[in-house]
Amino acid sequence: MMNNRNKNDEYIVIVGCGRLGSHLARLLSKARKSVVVIDKNEGAFHRLGDDFSGFTIEADAIEIDSLLQAKINKADVVVTTTNDDNTNILIAQIAKIIYKVPKVIARLFEPSRQQVYEELGIETLCPTILSAIELKNIIVGDKMEV
Amino acid sequence: MLYTELIKERYQLIVGYVGTIIIGIGFALLLPLLLLPVYSQEANETAYFIIPSLIAICLGYVMRRKLKCVKEVTLTLQEGGVIVLLAWISATIFCAMPFIISGKLNFTQAVFEAVSGLTTTGLSVVDVTKTSHIFLMWRSIMQFIGGAGLAVIMLSAIIGPHGLGLYNAEARSDKLLPNVAKSTKLIMIIYTGYILSGIILYILAGMPWFDAINHSIAAVSTGGFSTRAESIGAYNSLSIELITLILMILGTINFAAHYVLLKGQIKKFFQIGEIRFMFFLLAFIVPLVAFFSLTRLYGSISQGIRVAIFELTSALSTTGFSTVGYTNWNGFAIFMMIVVMLIGGGAGSTAGGIKQYRVYVMLKSLVWNIKSYLLPKNSVRQDYVVRPDGKFYVSSEHKIETSNFITLYILTYIIGISILLIHGYSLQDAMFEIASSLGTVGLSVGVTSADAPSMVLWTESFGMMLGRLEFFVVFFASMKIIKDIKFMIKRR
Repeated sequence: MMNNRNKNDEYIVIVGCGRLGSHLARLLSKARKSVVVIDKNEGAFHRLGDDFSGFTIEADAIEIDSLLQAKINKADVVVTTTNDDNTNILIAQIAKIIYKVPKVIARLFEPSRQQVYEELGIETLCPTILSAIELKNIIVGDKMEV
Repeated sequence: MLYTELIKERYQLIVGYVGTIIIGIGFALLLPLLLLPVYSQEANETAYFIIPSLIAICLGYVMRRKLKCVKEVTLTLQEGGVIVLLAWISATIFCAMPFIISGKLNFTQAVFEAVSGLTTTGLSVVDVTKTSHIFLMWRSIMQFIGGAGLAVIMLSAIIGPHGLGLYNAEARSDKLLPNVAKSTKLIMIIYTGYILSGIILYILAGMPWFDAINHSIAAVSTGGFSTRAESIGAYNSLSIELITLILMILGTINFAAHYVLLKGQIKKFFQIGEIRFMFFLLAFIVPLVAFFSLTRLYGSISQGIRVAIFELTSALSTTGFSTVGYTNWNGFAIFMMIVVMLIGGGAGSTAGGIKQYRVYVMLKSLVWNIKSYLLPKNSVRQDYVVRPDGKFYVSSEHKIETSNFITLYILTYIIGISILLIHGYSLQDAMFEIASSLGTVGLSVGVTSADAPSMVLWTESFGMMLGRLEFFVVFFASMKIIKDIKFMIKRR
């Protein structure tokens, strides 16, 4: 029950409102979460559509002021989905180390960096690896281990 | 073929949600009956509320069953608009029923009273001295419902995040929290909290408890229905006037700004452009009116200022309580009242009018425009206004939307005045009365009464409805309905 309540109260900050960020924001908003999206380009917010009821902040998330504006210090989850690995990891580190956000997830394109970040306690999600595994499974079936 | 299916499905959704609101109205109709234990001599009026309530609940239930065929989907702004429009029309009819069944008012008058209540206007054709407590309470409950907004009440209770279109359609664009369902709950908490504290303050100030409940609801919802014929003036008490003043100002402030204030960020609260504009406007106009018009009329400067503060705040907050009559006011004072009524309350509050925010943006952009002539040709400027959620950079599109709204408001105002002039009222009376109904204020110079021609009452009802729903939703929702009906007929 307690766990359930915590889930309902989640306050989520999404950095980057690209295809992934915007889609995630819509899904979470529909699931009754409080969502704040940061992007430095205002035009990106058009991707959010009608079913997003959270806040949008037009700012550069590399600056601490804009992160504070999104109340990162109170966030339960921070997801970084910009199209630049270094930006993602920088913000994820800020969230994890300075603001002690319980759950931080970064999107990562370059698989070779994954290990380093997991050592820092940041969960990563690498679409490159995921697609590679999925493609391989389609081609040879999922018998082999990764 | 696919499109007809889609339209059918969406309209099932719309009918279902409207049904939900009608059920809500049905239950609200039972609320005045809570007074029966205290005023048992009025038990003979029970049926006037129970009959419409049963009709509403049954009809709502049948409509709501349509919802079951549709899976949860998100409402668009247009669909939200259609729901809001249909909900307001059906709510008006059901709210008017008790007056019709009891025979107190004819159809036109009853609809007028219901619209006036739901839009939190406060113009009335009921003779409050001869009306029972149950009916007085019902008028206040209508204002409570209308003040928060049908959509907001429904959102906080039922729909949740899928109803953002609904939230926007009912002229509410300010979000307090990054979750629309939580925002609406917060609005309801702030709203009922102020009403409860208002009731306590009134009782402490010596008002009877029944009057306290009614006046507190009417003040915070910026409605203005009173249980006394002389409104607040009947008590002739400085403390009651002061409490009313505070409640009216609270009622007219944007809910998002309230949230900033309640979080304790007082400095940030007073940086909000709209709030500054409101206090500046009052500080500017009150002395003018007091000095040039009212001091002579009421004998002393202090009395003149007291009346001026109360009446102008009542007009600006679009509440419509009064302590004096306006028949002996001179042209300047009446005109200032009209101007203030046109400006109206804060955006995203329970108030009506053009809204202080829009006027503020337009005045600011005027200043920016003049300043731009003095700057070098290639200078880059970022023009912003401070809103409760922070700085807002004003784009030209935003300016166009704002000025379109004001144009539409003034056009409707002109049409309304013309209709009243045709019926033989003086220009001053017509301007005052239409500004009052379009801005959902509820002050009257005597045009609105039980014996007013029905055309005048309909004009005012229509004006109140347009003013409350901020025009555009009424237009685009009716256009969508007509378009869809045309399409369906062609297909058949």
